[in-house]
Amino acid sequence: MSELSAPSPTGGAMAGARVGATTPARGLSGLVSRRGLGMAALILLLSFLTIYPFSMLMYGSLHSTPPGMAGEYNLDGYRQLMTREALGILLNTIGISLGKTIPSLGLAVFLAWIIARTDTPYRDKLEVLITLPFFIPPILTAMAWAMLGNPQVGLLNQVFKWATGANYSPINVYSWGGVVWHMVQYSTPFLFLFIVDVFRAMDPSLEESSRMCGASRLRTFGGITLMLMLPALTNSFILSFIRGMENFESPLFFGTPAKITVITTEMYNSINHHATPDYQYATAIGFAVMALMFLLVFAQWRILRGRSFATVTGKGYSPSVMKLGKWRWVTFGFCALFFAVTVVLPVSQLLIGSFFRFFGFYQWDMLTTEHYQAVFSSSEIWRAVTNTMMLGLVGATLTMALGAIVAYISVRTKWRGRRVIDALAWLPWMMPGMVLGIGFLWAFAMLPGPIPIYGTIWALLLAYLALGTPVATRVMTGAYAQLSFDLEECSRVHGASFFQTLWRILVALAWPSFAVGWVLTFFGIMRELSASVLLYSVGSEVLSVVLMKLWANGLAEQVSVIGLLMMLLVILFRWVQIKILQRYVTTLGA
Amino acid sequence: MSAISLQNISRHFGDFAAVDGVDLEAATGEFLTLLGPSGCGKTTTLRMVAGLEQNTGGRIVIGDEVVSDAERGFFMPPERRQLGMVFQSYAIWPHMTVFDNVAYPLRIRRRPKDEIQQRVTKALKLVEMDSFASRPAPALSGGQQQRVAIARALVFEPRVLLLDEPLSNLDARLRTQTGDEFRALQKRLGITSLYVTHDQGEAMSLSDRVVVMQKGRILQIGAPEDIYQRPRSRAVAEFFGAPNLVETTVRGCKQLANGLFELDVAGQGWSGTCRAGEAFASGVPALVMLRPETLTLADAATGGMSWTGEVASSIFRGAQRSLVVKTVAGALNVDTTAFAHPAVGSQVAIVADAAAAWALPATRQG
Ligand SMILES: Nc1ncnc2c1ncn2[C@@H]1O[C@H](COP(=O)(O)OP(=O)(O)O)[C@@H](O)[C@H]1O
Ligand SMILES: [Mg+2]
Repeated sequence: MSELSAPSPTGGAMAGARVGATTPARGLSGLVSRRGLGMAALILLLSFLTIYPFSMLMYGSLHSTPPGMAGEYNLDGYRQLMTREALGILLNTIGISLGKTIPSLGLAVFLAWIIARTDTPYRDKLEVLITLPFFIPPILTAMAWAMLGNPQVGLLNQVFKWATGANYSPINVYSWGGVVWHMVQYSTPFLFLFIVDVFRAMDPSLEESSRMCGASRLRTFGGITLMLMLPALTNSFILSFIRGMENFESPLFFGTPAKITVITTEMYNSINHHATPDYQYATAIGFAVMALMFLLVFAQWRILRGRSFATVTGKGYSPSVMKLGKWRWVTFGFCALFFAVTVVLPVSQLLIGSFFRFFGFYQWDMLTTEHYQAVFSSSEIWRAVTNTMMLGLVGATLTMALGAIVAYISVRTKWRGRRVIDALAWLPWMMPGMVLGIGFLWAFAMLPGPIPIYGTIWALLLAYLALGTPVATRVMTGAYAQLSFDLEECSRVHGASFFQTLWRILVALAWPSFAVGWVLTFFGIMRELSASVLLYSVGSEVLSVVLMKLWANGLAEQVSVIGLLMMLLVILFRWVQIKILQRYVTTLGA
Repeated sequence: MSAISLQNISRHFGDFAAVDGVDLEAATGEFLTLLGPSGCGKTTTLRMVAGLEQNTGGRIVIGDEVVSDAERGFFMPPERRQLGMVFQSYAIWPHMTVFDNVAYPLRIRRRPKDEIQQRVTKALKLVEMDSFASRPAPALSGGQQQRVAIARALVFEPRVLLLDEPLSNLDARLRTQTGDEFRALQKRLGITSLYVTHDQGEAMSLSDRVVVMQKGRILQIGAPEDIYQRPRSRAVAEFFGAPNLVETTVRGCKQLANGLFELDVAGQGWSGTCRAGEAFASGVPALVMLRPETLTLADAATGGMSWTGEVASSIFRGAQRSLVVKTVAGALNVDTTAFAHPAVGSQVAIVADAAAAWALPATRQG
C-alpha cells in the first residue's frame, strides 16, 4: 500500500535500520499522527472558510441583532420572507433566471453546432471570440450597456434617432429585458463551453445510423443528437439557472433603476440602503437561497442519476462536418454578430466614452484626454489596481494550491477524512457571493481582537479563497483523474514524501490544468463584486468596487478608462492562456 | 442485374487517394467481403456506398438506380438509399429501449402501429432478442447490441446490408459463433450483403466472394478458395498466413482441361510440376507458392517436389506443429500434425503436393 511506502524522516530511518525486524511500529504511528495533524489542519482551514461563515449566517438569521450585540432569538427574519413582497422578489428572481437561461441555451446550442458540426469558415477563431465575453468582468459590460442603451442619451438610441429621424428611443436597458439581455451575454458563452465539448465527443456513428435508417439530417438532429445530449443539456441548464439566481451585477445596474428587485439586490439593499441595516432579513434571504440551490442540486442529481450516456468513442474520429454551401457565410456572420454585439459594441462604447468630456455628448470639440489623466493621477484608483493585482496573483495561487491538495487527497489517497474535506471544499458552491460575503462580514467581526482581519485586505483574500475553491478543486480533480496511479506509486516507492510526490506530479504532469485553473480563478477574482462590495473598507478597495463607486458618483467617463484597461488585461491573459496552454490541455477547463 | 455496382469509384482526401479506381459488382443475394489490412480503404468504400462519404470519382449504382455520380455531380443522401448498415460500434442509441431502437426506421417511414409491433417482433425473433424488447439499450452486452444492430438494419427490408467489422468488438469465441449465425440468417433471407473485415478467417468462412484490397485498390476478387489457393500475386498470397515462395525457372507449360495450366519448373538441384492460372513462357522465372499445411514429412525425398533438410525450429501450436526446415529451396515453413515431432537439428524429408503448388509470375507487383 502506498501509505506504507512513505517513510517519515525519523520513522523511515528507524524502519530502515531494522530491516527484517517486526513491524516498524514507531515509524508507522509517527507517520499516522503527522498525517492526522495535517488533515486536521486542512479540515480546520476549510471549516473556517465555509462552516464558520455559514454558522454566522444561521445565527444572524435567527437573532434580532448582529453578533456581539444584545438581542433575542426569534423568527422575524423568516417571517419577513413570508410576506407577499418577498415572495414576489423570489418569483421575480426565478422568472429572470429562467428568462435568461432558456434563450441562452438555445443560442449556445446553435453556436456550438455551428462551431463543432459545420464547415463554417474560421471556426477555430470564432470559437475564441464567442467565448471571450465569459472572461470579461460583467460590471464592465453592465456599465457599457448602461451607456449604450440609456433611454435618454444612449449611443444606440442616438444613432437610431439620427438614422431614422424619429424622436423616440427604442431601447431602454433599465427594464426586465435589459437585465435578461445582460445575463444572456454571459450565460451563452458559459453554456457554449460545455455544449461544444458534448458535440465534439459524440460518436458520429450514432447519428449516421439514424441517417441509414431513413431519417433526414434535421430529423436526426432532433430525434437523436439532441436526445443524446439531453442529460448534458439538463445539467448545463440547471447550472446556468443557479448562476442566474446568484447574479448581482445585471439586476443591480438594470433592475434597480427600474424598481425590479431580485434576491441579491434585495439583500444588498436591506444592508446598504436602509437607515439601519436589516441583517436578520438579509441573512434569512441568504438561507432561503441556499435552500433553493440545494433543492436544485438535488434535483439535478436525481434527474441525471444513471442517465449520462456514454456516447463517447475511444476512436479519434471527428464527427462529420456538415457542408453548408453558401449558407456557411450566414453562420459565420451569425457568430461574428454575436461577438460584435457582446464584445465590440461595449468595448467601443468604453473607448468612445473615455475620450469625450461628457458621456452622451459626442461632438468633436468635446474630445479630451482629461479622463485618462484623472485616472492615472488618482491615488485611490492606483491603490485599487495594486490591491486587485495582488489579490488576483496571491488569491489565485493560494486557491489553486488548496484545490490541488484537496483534489489530490480526495481522488488519489484513501485517507480517512478525505470525504469531509471534499464536501467542505464543495460547500461554497451553493453560497452565492453575496451570501458568503455577509457570512464572512460577521465571521471576521467576531474574531478576537488580536486577529485583525475585519476591514482589511485579508478579508477579501479569504472570501476569494472560499469562493474559488470549488472550481479549483474540480479542475484539479479532472487533471489527476487522467494520470495513472503507477507514476506516483513509483515516486513514493522510491522514498519521496507526500509533498515531494505531490510537487513532482504537479510540476511534471498536472501543471497545464493548474495553470488553466489559475487563470480562471484570477479572472474570477477580477470580476468579483458581490462579496467585495460587502467586505471592502477604505484602503482595501478593489477595482470592481472602485468602478461601482465612480459610477454611482456619475463619473462614467473615468469608468470607461478603467474598463478599457481591464479589457486589455483580460485579452492579454486570454491570449496567453490560448497560445501557451491550449497545446497542453484539450478543454478550456471551464 | 447486380445489386450493387461500383464503377471506377475513388475517394481523395486532399492529395491522398484513400480509394483509387475501384470496380466491383455484387450479385443479388451475394455475400461479398472487402478484406484488407487496416487503412486500405475498406471503410471508405463501404461509406461511399452508404452515402455517408461522397465519392470524388466514379459512379455507384444500387439495383437499377444511380445513387451517386461524381462526374455529373449527383449525390443521393444516405436516408434515400434504402440500405441497412451495421456499424463497428453498433451505434445502438442509449436513450431508447431495444424495441424503440429497432422500431426507429419504421417510425421514420410512418408505418401504422400494429405493423411496427409485428415487424419489430419478427426482426427481434430473427436475432433471438425478442425477450429483451423492453430493455434499455445500455443494459446490453456487446454481443446483444450487435444483434439489435442487425435487427434494426433488417427491419425495413433494405435493398442491401452493409456491415463494417461487426464482429471485431466481440471476444474470440463469440465472434465465430455470431459470424456463423449471421451467415445462416443472410442465406435464409437472401439479402445482398457487403461486409468489411481485416480478419482473413472471417472473410473466408462467411463470404461467397472476397475482394482483397490494398492501398485503395483491388488486388483480386474471387471465391475464398480461389483467393487462398490460387492468388494472382505475391501480395495476395502473403496476405494469408506465411506461405513459402520458392524461386524457380519455368521449363514447360501445358493447358489443362479445367482451364488452368500445368508448369514444369526447376529450382537449384530439383524440379517438379505445379499449377498456374495463366500461361508462362519457357525460361521465365516463377515463384512457386507452397502453403505450409500442404507440405508433409516423409521418410525420404522421392524426387519431384521434395527436399531434405535440417529442422531449424519447431513450435507446438496445439492442433499442429510449425517447423522451419532448411533446404536447398530455402528455409521452408511446414505445418505438420502435432504428433510428429522431429528434434531440432535432425534431418527430415519434405514432400509437396503438386496439385496444391501454385506458380506466380515473379515480377508482378501488387
Ligand atoms: N476523413 C478523412 N480524412 C483524411 N483521411 C481519411 C479520412 N477518412 C479516412 N482517411 C484515410 O483513408 C485511408 C483509408 O481509411 P479507411 O477506409 O478507414 O481504412 P480501413 O477501413 O480499410 O481500415 C486511411 O489511410 C485513412 O487515414
Ligand atoms: Mg475500417
